[in-house]
Amino acid sequence: MKRSVLILLTGLLCLSVLAANGKKEDTAAASGSDVVSLKFWTSHTPPDSDTLKAMVETFNAGHPGIEVEFIQVPGSETDVAKLMTAVRGGTGPDAYMLDRFTIAQRAASGVLEDITGVMNKKDSAMASAHVPYAWAETQYKGKTYGLPFDTDSRVLYFNKDLVKEAGYDPAVLDPSNGPQTIEFIQEIADKINKTDGTGQYTQVGFIPYDTKYSQGWHYTWGFVFGGKFADLASMKVTPTDPGVVAGYQFIKDWAAHMGPQKVETFISTYAPPNNPPEQDPFLIGKVGMMVNGDWVLHSIKQYHPELNWGVTYLPVPEKGDKPATWAGGWSMVIPTGCKNMDEAYEFISWMCGEEGEKMYMKTAHLPTIKSLLADDSSFDANHLFFKECLDFASSRPPIPAGALYWDGLTQAMGEVTLNQGDVKAALQQVADQVQPQLDALK
Amino acid sequence: MTKTEKRNLRNGLIFVSPWIVGFLCLQVYPILYSLRLSFTRYSGFGKPVSVGLENFRTLIQDPLFTKSLYNTFFYTVWAVPLGVVVAILIALAMNQRVREVAVYRAILYLPSILPLFALSFVWIVFSNPRFGLLNYILQGLGLPIIDFIGNPVWTKPSIVLLAQLGAGGPALIFLAGLRGIPRELYESAEIDGAGAMRSFWSITLPMLTPVILYDIILGLSMGLQVFTQAYIITSGGVNMAGPNNSLLFYVFYIYKNAFQYTRMGYASALVWVLFVISMILALSVFKWARSWVHYGNE
Repeated sequence: MKRSVLILLTGLLCLSVLAANGKKEDTAAASGSDVVSLKFWTSHTPPDSDTLKAMVETFNAGHPGIEVEFIQVPGSETDVAKLMTAVRGGTGPDAYMLDRFTIAQRAASGVLEDITGVMNKKDSAMASAHVPYAWAETQYKGKTYGLPFDTDSRVLYFNKDLVKEAGYDPAVLDPSNGPQTIEFIQEIADKINKTDGTGQYTQVGFIPYDTKYSQGWHYTWGFVFGGKFADLASMKVTPTDPGVVAGYQFIKDWAAHMGPQKVETFISTYAPPNNPPEQDPFLIGKVGMMVNGDWVLHSIKQYHPELNWGVTYLPVPEKGDKPATWAGGWSMVIPTGCKNMDEAYEFISWMCGEEGEKMYMKTAHLPTIKSLLADDSSFDANHLFFKECLDFASSRPPIPAGALYWDGLTQAMGEVTLNQGDVKAALQQVADQVQPQLDALK
Repeated sequence: MTKTEKRNLRNGLIFVSPWIVGFLCLQVYPILYSLRLSFTRYSGFGKPVSVGLENFRTLIQDPLFTKSLYNTFFYTVWAVPLGVVVAILIALAMNQRVREVAVYRAILYLPSILPLFALSFVWIVFSNPRFGLLNYILQGLGLPIIDFIGNPVWTKPSIVLLAQLGAGGPALIFLAGLRGIPRELYESAEIDGAGAMRSFWSITLPMLTPVILYDIILGLSMGLQVFTQAYIITSGGVNMAGPNNSLLFYVFYIYKNAFQYTRMGYASALVWVLFVISMILALSVFKWARSWVHYGNE
């Protein structure tokens, strides 16, 4: 008898707890009827996240009906595990900052809301306001899944002091002389290299395929050698395109020239995982030249303003070749299951509008809005060169297997540099792995 | 069953029901659900599309499947036996009859308190080819430096070494095992003229075999699921899991497929292959153990 009373009491207690919880949620929803709360997630870290936070605050101040909460989450360009599990569990954010070239892939897997409807209702000129390549990356099967937020371009940074020490006048590298040949850059780089008694590098001239502290990606050299990474009309990835193969051959030869394992050890010494930004090997003067994007301008200013540096075009295979580079950038998307589509769109379209993009330029990012790009006065002198590079920049193919393709290409890069494997075989393997996935999604 | 027995059974079941419900909903159901998913193409959203055995066919031809399996086996084959030896050594040290033994025990156990991810961060600093303490010592001894995180030959051994910092946990179990060995056995051995080594090989080790078996089984299942260290050391494995994918462990590859490539169906297929492999391994260890495990009461 007593026991059943106990069970009954326990049951009642549980019920009352549940009821109390329910009530709390009700009141929260009621008070939220005049101010809509939104959650905005980003995987960006300082200094960019500081700017993003300030932007959210500015937005909140100008929009009394909407309160956006800024939340930093783990993740990266191709890793959206946190977003996926949250969206699946019904606790996803209302806005997310996503690497734009993965939009098609994430849309295909169902993580993103189609914003075409709400966009057309509010602002049908959105598409024409942004540069075309950035806009193309927001599309999947003719629908819009995000808005372009920023863009960037990659150039060759060089340390003037190290170049001078190597016996060259840094003025030779000035962009006004046009792009230099790869051969000439290698000549300088070789003279900057320094080794210790055991033969390990203590200083390097240029590692064109480094991706730990710089942007020596497959796409960088594929585009420099005139490569074509995909055929969008037939939705085929083309990693064995002659230009791409030439780009891979170039980094393979370079690795062999420097000693693949010695290069790797230099990187794990001076750019180990989780290396703090102020210890970046280029910023501390251990690297003579590197491929990198405009955001580095801000890091230099913030962490090592004393650095004597310059920028120029990426080197080209033959004298007289036209310069090449590529542009990427991020986007604002609305994850699946968002309950306040109108407000969320209001927020992302502000972030990706003139006011938002202009604020984001503060931490050295290029806008995607044509009118902002057209106004040279809003860029500082260093940034202007990056903007000019956009004129001839390529961009990654917007395919629904973008992240998988990226990882496959990266793997092939390791195969040809560290292992000195066969270039064509490594790239053929990428096609074999990615094409079936693409076929299933296109 | 009498009325009281029935009532006791009912009440007993009610009292353990939170566990039963949790077990069925949070463990059995997901396990069976993943079996179903392994025959589908599923991104985690929308409806799974049935594809029959396609995932398993893809798996056989996937070079990264073979690679991750090799990496995982390499780790397990080295980490488990080494782990047993290190744990026994620590347990023996913890069992010395000196006054300050409590202090030694605390010191020896201390590294095991650190979470694996924190240890991994420490390891990155510790093993730096030029500035790390480890290479400093190697150089001091006149040995060549080792690139523990950038040389594919050394990345896996470095994780095996790192795992030994967590040996304090199993060492406590071995310590309990050591304390359980009757004193008389050692006394009679001493009377028979046995030295310390002889007693260790003929008494301590055989009496510890049940604990060793337990540790091997546990180590095996943990070893096959190695993930955290590689995830941290390769910065989340974005792009590549270590040089030459040498730290792409099996569970890491499952994670990448499920959450980076949104191939839940394929990831589920990988999970089930690992499950079958673990079962086979565990059963063979049990079978093999019959020939060397010594239970005191036999």
